[in-house]
Amino acid sequence: MSQLERLEKVDESDKSSAGGILTVSEQEQVQDSGMVLKIGHLYPTLMSVAADRGNLFSIEKRCKWRGIRTEVEQIFVKQTPDFTKYDLILFHGGADREMELASRDIQAKAPSLREAAESGTVFLSVCAGYQLLGHYYKPFQGPELKGVGLLDLYTEGGDKRFMTHMALECEFEPIGKQVLVGYENHSGRTYLGPKAQPLGKVLAGWGNNGKDSYEGAVYKNVFGTYLHGPVLPKNPWFTDLLILRALERRYGKGNVQLAPLDDSTEIAAHDAALKLAMEFKGTMSAIEATPWKR
Amino acid sequence: MAVDDKTNGTHIEQQGNSDGHGQGGATMPSGLGRARLALAISAGKLAGASGRFFRIGGGTSLPGMIARRIDPNVLKSIVGASKAKKIVITGSNGKTTTARMTAAIADASGQRVSQNRTGSNMLQGVTSVAVNFADIFGRLDSDVLLFEIDEGTMPLVLPEIEPDVVVITNIFRDQLDRYGELYSVAKALNKLLESLPASSTIILNGNDPQVANFGQNAQARRLFFGLESKEVGTPVPEQSADIIRCIHCQEDLLYEVAYMSHLGIYRCPNCGYTLPKLDIAATSIQLAPDGEGPTHVTMRIPEGELHFEIPLPGLHNVYNAAAAIGAGLAAGFDMEKVPAAIGNIRPAFGRLEKIQAGDQTIYLAFVKNPTSFNLMLRLIARHPGQKHLLLAASHTIVDGEDFAWLWDVDIEDLAPDILDVVCSGNKPEELAMRLKYAEVPVDKIQLIEDREAALDAALKNAGPGGTLYIMCSYTPTHELRRIMQKRGWVKHFWEE
Repeated sequence: MSQLERLEKVDESDKSSAGGILTVSEQEQVQDSGMVLKIGHLYPTLMSVAADRGNLFSIEKRCKWRGIRTEVEQIFVKQTPDFTKYDLILFHGGADREMELASRDIQAKAPSLREAAESGTVFLSVCAGYQLLGHYYKPFQGPELKGVGLLDLYTEGGDKRFMTHMALECEFEPIGKQVLVGYENHSGRTYLGPKAQPLGKVLAGWGNNGKDSYEGAVYKNVFGTYLHGPVLPKNPWFTDLLILRALERRYGKGNVQLAPLDDSTEIAAHDAALKLAMEFKGTMSAIEATPWKR
Repeated sequence: MAVDDKTNGTHIEQQGNSDGHGQGGATMPSGLGRARLALAISAGKLAGASGRFFRIGGGTSLPGMIARRIDPNVLKSIVGASKAKKIVITGSNGKTTTARMTAAIADASGQRVSQNRTGSNMLQGVTSVAVNFADIFGRLDSDVLLFEIDEGTMPLVLPEIEPDVVVITNIFRDQLDRYGELYSVAKALNKLLESLPASSTIILNGNDPQVANFGQNAQARRLFFGLESKEVGTPVPEQSADIIRCIHCQEDLLYEVAYMSHLGIYRCPNCGYTLPKLDIAATSIQLAPDGEGPTHVTMRIPEGELHFEIPLPGLHNVYNAAAAIGAGLAAGFDMEKVPAAIGNIRPAFGRLEKIQAGDQTIYLAFVKNPTSFNLMLRLIARHPGQKHLLLAASHTIVDGEDFAWLWDVDIEDLAPDILDVVCSGNKPEELAMRLKYAEVPVDKIQLIEDREAALDAALKNAGPGGTLYIMCSYTPTHELRRIMQKRGWVKHFWEE
């Protein structure tokens, strides 16, 4: 399918949803909450390198299990939708070649993306997506890639890759302190400006630049992180935070309450990942530094 | 388990590189060098034999590791002195089966073949082949040296081998944490191909938009293999496809047919980049409807047409056969022997191997990336009825540290047919969570880390006379197979 055809397809689905297809959730036992979450998935094929589509699965299923409907629109290159219509935007990682393309294309999207960010749309950006939400990315070799400046940060390429299991401590209202786990795999060193807050403090791993012991960035509801894994499935508290903030944007603060779910499977995966991260603490790469043993 | 070469060959390489007998390697070293070579080979052989004797493993990489410690040039010396045709098979998927098929064609053509057939395909495993088959003076009496080489290890090994034929099966997303990114693997491979002399031949997958473009500036002859049949495939590549943009102008490629992942008949609507004319092309393919039986294939080669049956299921095995025929053509094997050779091929270790376990049946599949996992899921889906599963994933250097790729696997397609599933390996939690998000009910999922207990639980689920499907990454495949071997259900893998 050409991009043009894709564009038309997206437009069509836009129309039909505007016509109001309010089908009741397929889940038998789950009661329809009457709520809907609009998700924009930015560059779903171009920026998709580390199986980060798991983040989308996590959001969709955790909404579905609570009777919250989700509408997902894919946004490809050359498309410039009004991003303020989305409650939540996903922007994942890609290899250098893809990142170059995305950097060029995203400039046309930048004004609307900024508007969405200011209006409280939730962003989850990962790795290259995270870097492109900043001011620029200067690779170790090659020309500088322009970002959109949504997050006050810049990134410079390093000669060594940070590849390891990672854990950080975060603190957000209303949930308090939580541990975020995942896998980092990047050569970029990111430095935050005054308008961006770090996402969390590094417990194990390298994080933004390997020096200041912080990882990721937050501005309003815009979140950026180096964590793959994918990050959301094994950090259900973080998924729920994003869902909550996104729904609050649409329905107003105080009008949204997320029903509790049985998260024992997720918590087991979270704890296994945390254990790994702590084992690899202080290593540049989980691969190089692992002694061979069986 | 014995030392496995998939760990990290480079560490050994760095030790004691102060060798006396130069870089040439085309002739046998003399004097001290020769003594050292003989010692290296003897020590390697002894290590391999004791590894087998004590049943600590297949002894597939230990000989190479020991020999390289004594003489880092051991591989170069042995291979360089041999007059045999040297064939190298690399790529993300299909290496082992392609190598088996190539060996079968060579064998049927009356050639004596030495190969690393147990999938031990990094530096030490490759060296083991040379050490095992050479006499202690480093002499080989083989006509063909067949090397299956891990794509990331190619830059280390290829200069030591100086091959006559190089086959690139495909490049898929595979263990990114080990090799950085897809393109850097591709770039390194292409550079190697361009360094090959004009006397060599490169066999490339024409259906792979990236691989088909390899060796543009190479002196070596290029032959392209692939599929042309319109009876199989889908109109759009699957979700996890890696390269769906034009490698020249980045425009989205249009597919007439997509066979698996990004492999297909493609064309760039912007710059016109398309697949080259295929020298070895499957023009007609009839897959078995039950996902098990033989595939009937018509293959066009420069000399005419070959008609044959592949006793292994799936389109990926048509690719493997086409690649092997390409290698055979380049090496001058007898093409009339192809139908007999391929008709007798058995599945390689862990490649949807059918195993009889008393009155129960086990299908064992080794999966290592989304493409191979999706392939196996699709094959299994063709088997009738609902399924009992055992899935196992481990995080080791061999298997990859990062199991993110599980989320690129389309488990959703099989989920409604899963009766029960046991998750094992040393990372069962992530697997279980992946299944939950594919909406497999949690009460159907068991987590049992211990491999033997997991196997017993899964077989109990399958019930008397039942069938169990096992899919796992590299290390658990070995571990489970060793348990089955202990129980007499399968042979030792080095006996195959």
